[in-house]
Amino acid sequence: MERITIDPITRLEGHGKIEIFLDEEGEVSNAYLQIPELRGFEQFCVGRPAEEMPRITNRICGVCPEAHHMAATKALDKLFNVEPSSAVRKIRELFYEAFYCTDHTVHFYALGGPDFVLGPNSPPAERNILGVIHKVGVDIGKQVIACRQRNHHVIKMLGGRGIHPVAGLPGGWSKAISAAEREEIEGIAKENVEFALFSLQLFADVVLANQAYVDLIVSDAFTHKTYYMGTVDENNQVNFYDGMIRVTDPDGKEYVKYEAKDYAQHIAERVEPWSYLKFPYLKNVGWKGFVDGKDSGVYCATPLSRLNASDGMATPLAQEHYEKMYETLGSEKINGNYTPVHHRLATHWARLIELLYAAERMLELSQDPEITDPNVRVTVTNTPTEGIGSVEAPRGTLTHHYVTDEKGILTKVNLIVGTTNNNAPISMSVKKAAQGLITKGTTITEGLLNTIEMAFRNYDPCMSCATHSLPGQMPLEVTIRDSEGNVVERQSQYIE
Amino acid sequence: MKTLVVGLGNPILTDDGVGVKVAYEVEKVLADTPIDNANAGEIEVIEACAGGIRLMELVVGYDRLILVDAITSANGHQPGTIHKLSYEDLRDVSPTQHSACAHDTSFVTALEMGRMLGLKLPTEISIYGIEVENLIDFGDEPTPAVAAAIPHAAAAVLLELNGN
Repeated sequence: MERITIDPITRLEGHGKIEIFLDEEGEVSNAYLQIPELRGFEQFCVGRPAEEMPRITNRICGVCPEAHHMAATKALDKLFNVEPSSAVRKIRELFYEAFYCTDHTVHFYALGGPDFVLGPNSPPAERNILGVIHKVGVDIGKQVIACRQRNHHVIKMLGGRGIHPVAGLPGGWSKAISAAEREEIEGIAKENVEFALFSLQLFADVVLANQAYVDLIVSDAFTHKTYYMGTVDENNQVNFYDGMIRVTDPDGKEYVKYEAKDYAQHIAERVEPWSYLKFPYLKNVGWKGFVDGKDSGVYCATPLSRLNASDGMATPLAQEHYEKMYETLGSEKINGNYTPVHHRLATHWARLIELLYAAERMLELSQDPEITDPNVRVTVTNTPTEGIGSVEAPRGTLTHHYVTDEKGILTKVNLIVGTTNNNAPISMSVKKAAQGLITKGTTITEGLLNTIEMAFRNYDPCMSCATHSLPGQMPLEVTIRDSEGNVVERQSQYIE
Repeated sequence: MKTLVVGLGNPILTDDGVGVKVAYEVEKVLADTPIDNANAGEIEVIEACAGGIRLMELVVGYDRLILVDAITSANGHQPGTIHKLSYEDLRDVSPTQHSACAHDTSFVTALEMGRMLGLKLPTEISIYGIEVENLIDFGDEPTPAVAAAIPHAAAAVLLELNGN
């Protein structure tokens, strides 16, 4: 089998490489994005008190510590069998929406946006945030930084620390919100709504107004018809903090809706001999390979997936934009619900719709009279046994599962992190992009590399959910190997 | 003059958090024996597991920045070797574990962005990279050679803070 390696990836961190395997005919047979696997997390945790988990797991990832902190806190609610009050749930959710505002903003402007703002064929050295600022103006850069700054301020105010929050407690939250803080957060949330609307307008002006980009989004090269997963509220609307896990089929029909604690009944993991990654799939549909369709258990958990797995957005402006996306991308409305959008590049649009939802929801919560309730702590009296908590991390459904002895000392820990859900869909996207451009005798070009990168970049994969090993400049390297593993061609270039 | 010392890394990933441990060592020494040099100015020490834009945001408002991070150089250096790097090195080579971020951009690009936007960013930047061995196993303690380098790296940072 021949192998092509793209190493490392331009704007994604980590030791990630793309491996492309060719068959004897020189056609793409398999592909995957290597994500370094860290070892020994369970051993590290076993023997420690479970209540430390929100502060330990937020160390796993420097990018989404808030998501781990929240999933861990929710797992502790279940572990100690203590129901958080309505006020506590609202404070946690408010904190979490502020986090979404920072995370989705930076992805769009620094990572996903450059391909569209500068064009997918622009030189890699220009296809970054600096290129975006050059193209659309310094003022937009200032707005991006201002958005992040004000939301980091909220995260610190509510979470107790700037980078690694510490406020989550079983059944509670360590800090109440004062009247003055509430007022400040309300002002910040209003600015967030404006910024999200501005970003969607930018997307409309730059991407949607350009037919070539719309054609690219709906092109078959970036399309996969799979199942979709996301957390929904009682109205089947998107929720990041809490709800039931809902999975819809490729036609948009609900396949299953379950509580996070039942994840093991629904999700299994596939192991392939050519990759050390595990590929989660829907257990009851079954593994049929890296293929699309209703008979294949492959599912996807991303911003677009969350929208597909829901019946809409719980806030008015986000709902308007949700409808616009489905109408624009050719979705049908059946019994009041849109059929799924399968075009993976639409994930960038979905991410901005989620940004607007997070901002609007933050505003609603900041205006809720309960949000300043001073009673945010509870005394835990139940004997702990087992707890499973989940949230929607920006990169997919995140599940924490803890088992303890009767003293609350951990005996078992299992995490399913956001990106892991998408291992199979990412592989399929990389494979399809490669198949469209590699046929027998085709020379590797920069366009090919970029197309493959675009195929997985929309997933915003977290390269390890732990390490952030990243050089300042990275060589983009392609290695083609023959069936014996010998290098027959290698190309590389330094890019930002 | 305001100086920020940032220990970068994940303190529960064996050698990855060596920068954080050095920063705490520096902080401890400074608490016991404050720097007796009028030119040293105000010194703050923090830890961060952040790169790219997030790291740039953290250093806004400071005149001088000292980063301490893990490094895996391509030249086969022994674990525990301490490299002192300049901002130009960061730009030219690919030196430290945490300076860039998967989800946005490299620290160099982020700094350039910040300057473009008129943010007040450090003009003096130095980086201490400690050669590491194990970045994939979870663990509180660095490997022995890396652990042994911590006091030396802290001493180097303190020497710089003292104006030497």
